[in-house]
Amino acid sequence: MAAALAVFVVYTALAGAGVPQILPSKVHHYAGKDVILVGTVVATRGNAYTAAGMHLVLRDPSGSARVPVVYHGTVPDLYKVGRVVVVNGKLTDGRFLADKGSLSTKCPSKYAPAKSSKT
Amino acid sequence: MAYLGRAALLLAFGLVAYALVAGSYAAWKRRRRLAHSAQNALLAAFPVTLVAAVLLLVALGRRDMTFVYVWQHTSHELPLGYALSAFWGGQEGSLLLWLLVLTGYAGLAVWLNRRSRELIAWTVPVFGLVACFFAFMLCFVSSPFNVQPAGSDGQGMVPSLQNPYMLAHPPLLYLGYVGLTVPFAFAMGALLSGRTDERWIVATRRWTLAAWTFLGVGQLIGAHWAYVEIGWGGYYAWDPVENAALMPWLAATAFLHSVMIQEKRGMLKVWNMVLVALAFNLSLFGTFLTRSGVIDSIHSFAKSSIGGWFLAFLSLMIVLSVALIRWRLPLLRTKTRLESLVSREATFLYNNLLLVALALTILWGVLYPILSDAVRGETRSVSKPYYDFFLHTFGLPLLLLMGLGPLVAWRKASLRSLGKTFVAPFAAAVATGGVLLTLGFGSSWPGLLAYTFSAFVGASIVLEFVRGRAAAGGVFRLIARNRRRYGGYVVHAAIVLLAIGIAGSSAYQTQRERVLTPGQSIEAAGYTLRYSGLTDVKGPNYTGFRALLAVSGHGERFNLSPGENNYPIEGQSNEASIYHDPHSLGDVFTTAQLIPKSNGKIDVKVFVKPLINLIWVAGFVFVAGALIAMWPDAVEQRRLAARYAAGAAPAGI
Amino acid sequence: MGWALALAAMLAVIAVVFVARPFLRDPSPASDRLDELAPEARERLALAEERDRALAALKELEFDHRTGKVSDEDYRAQVGPLRRRAAEVLRALERGEGARHERVPDPGERVP
Repeated sequence: MAAALAVFVVYTALAGAGVPQILPSKVHHYAGKDVILVGTVVATRGNAYTAAGMHLVLRDPSGSARVPVVYHGTVPDLYKVGRVVVVNGKLTDGRFLADKGSLSTKCPSKYAPAKSSKT
Repeated sequence: MAYLGRAALLLAFGLVAYALVAGSYAAWKRRRRLAHSAQNALLAAFPVTLVAAVLLLVALGRRDMTFVYVWQHTSHELPLGYALSAFWGGQEGSLLLWLLVLTGYAGLAVWLNRRSRELIAWTVPVFGLVACFFAFMLCFVSSPFNVQPAGSDGQGMVPSLQNPYMLAHPPLLYLGYVGLTVPFAFAMGALLSGRTDERWIVATRRWTLAAWTFLGVGQLIGAHWAYVEIGWGGYYAWDPVENAALMPWLAATAFLHSVMIQEKRGMLKVWNMVLVALAFNLSLFGTFLTRSGVIDSIHSFAKSSIGGWFLAFLSLMIVLSVALIRWRLPLLRTKTRLESLVSREATFLYNNLLLVALALTILWGVLYPILSDAVRGETRSVSKPYYDFFLHTFGLPLLLLMGLGPLVAWRKASLRSLGKTFVAPFAAAVATGGVLLTLGFGSSWPGLLAYTFSAFVGASIVLEFVRGRAAAGGVFRLIARNRRRYGGYVVHAAIVLLAIGIAGSSAYQTQRERVLTPGQSIEAAGYTLRYSGLTDVKGPNYTGFRALLAVSGHGERFNLSPGENNYPIEGQSNEASIYHDPHSLGDVFTTAQLIPKSNGKIDVKVFVKPLINLIWVAGFVFVAGALIAMWPDAVEQRRLAARYAAGAAPAGI
Repeated sequence: MGWALALAAMLAVIAVVFVARPFLRDPSPASDRLDELAPEARERLALAEERDRALAALKELEFDHRTGKVSDEDYRAQVGPLRRRAAEVLRALERGEGARHERVPDPGERVP
């Protein structure tokens, strides 16, 4: 019975492949596909609550590749230039269009619960 | 002062290394005085580590910025309580806390069981091994006593950590995590000494129960903290750090149950060894996860100073556990078999399988990003739907089993007697399910099942008390004479409350979001929230605003004021405002974000969460049940002492 | 710094003395052998655990019967073997090293 359970678990786990987490340097390989983009905020302007949305630029945490992002929705705790953030969405025409409300910060202290904003 | 701290840690390392090396040699070569000496070394490690701990606390309290650690985690305006709590806020400090609790627990456990010399002779080096790792890390890899020239103010503490939870949550969790080392050390000690009797279980029963309780309560406090402080509207996000505590807790739950079977039937000795090793290694893994940031990505793992060391130690402990169990397999095997698939032993076994399966699926989800990165070169992660699926698949049957177990007799239950005891709870469940269905709760089938099963379990527990009371002549006498059993039932009742609370607040919650100008309203689940304006707020290290919401609905009127705090050093944080409805035990949870340059427009989110407060109530019931189960029984203690005193009589000298 | 050093040294000395204590108190003992359970004592311990298990099972059966969880016929079917088992184990214990030669089988065991 334990074996059956194991097979079941492994099967469902493999079948339900997750969403890839991508850095700005690699995101071009995933143009048009849903991914989770991880990067450091280097510039930000605009208002996430307006129609035009917030425009931010994310950089590879350990490199130089950059990607412009357009975001609408709630701005999470501790968001500021210099933070590492995570956002869902897809790359379209050279710009990353983020899913509404999917922006969250990675807390600088590894101690606090990592998700500081979720919808 | 930092030098004294470092010296103390070096001394502690020397002591536990001695406990490991001399202790192993003494146990192997059967040297009484050397074994006693190793034991003393282990006992001495605690006061020495305490010196180091006190020094760090004093440095934190004084905001001594020559300590790099103090500088990294506090600042001069940080209130004293939080500055002290920075002890466990950073990597080095939390390693020191681990060592402190470990040496404290180890010393006490060994001292209390010192008469069982054969078992202790081997338990001491196992404790020594674990303590050695942490002491080594503290001395040579990740020291809290690094110094720097005095200068600027510290980096401060992340605002979400600045609340009373920071004082309670991590220490309670550590008391739990580290506590699981005690049954592990005794179990490995029993294997090493070749003893197949149950001395190790008897010695560690309360330790396991206490650790498990601390871990459970610590997690509930963490969930409450996330709910109230982080303000995203939930209390559990299946985050690796959260899962890190859940996995060992599930394994420990399985262990607590299966140990009862070994005690009653002498079966499952191998399985118990596997479970206790699993619980301990998951607890190590949990500490490692929380501290090393490995799950963020494999790259940040490589950068973390302790990632590699932790992984090496964890691997060593896993290999040792497996090797020891394998070595002693012939001694552990018994001929006793399960007599019937319809017996209480069987329900315990199913419970175990489900708990372990759940723990492993969570583990898989946690490791998935690392594995997919290693295998495919890209980090993929699983999310809520994955975990929810397995929580329903394994959790709901577990809930049902909690009700079935007590109804079934040991060894073998005939279907007829099962039918008789079954009828009332079953009827209660069907009735509840039917009523809920007509009231529209069928919108979520996991929620409906959770409620229905909860009714079943609740009825079954009530019946146990009613029937038992008649037999024992009063509820207090009943509980006093059957502490473990009825304490267990109270804990099960807590889990039922937990299940109802979780089901209500997730399956049946209402969520709305809207941008409001002053004067506008938003509606959710029968409540109307009217936004009237903003006020400013100020605190010792922040400024901010609050949005004033006047709420009416369900025959009540109240005010909520969600907003944001702005901390100059750390950034901005969300401050949720929650109303606890005393009648429905649900919450109205609100957050507000200011839209810049918009003349007071806010983005408001409202969550109406039915029955969520049952989750917190469950925490208290849980502790009460655990205390009842742990309460010492003088008669039982005497009997056990007599049993082992006779057995421990020295052989011919 | 000086006092820190002195304190550290003192701590170290106390620790070392404590660790060396078993040797200091008993420099030439009659025996330095660590106690261990002789095989007969282990057998007796195993039997004692068996006895406690059997007695507890009986007690629980009685309780379950009185509270109605176990029916009369199930009770009658189980109480006999359990009582016999408890008696066997008690006898084995009284015999002293009685289990040296025969193991008392559990009713749940499959006997080859």
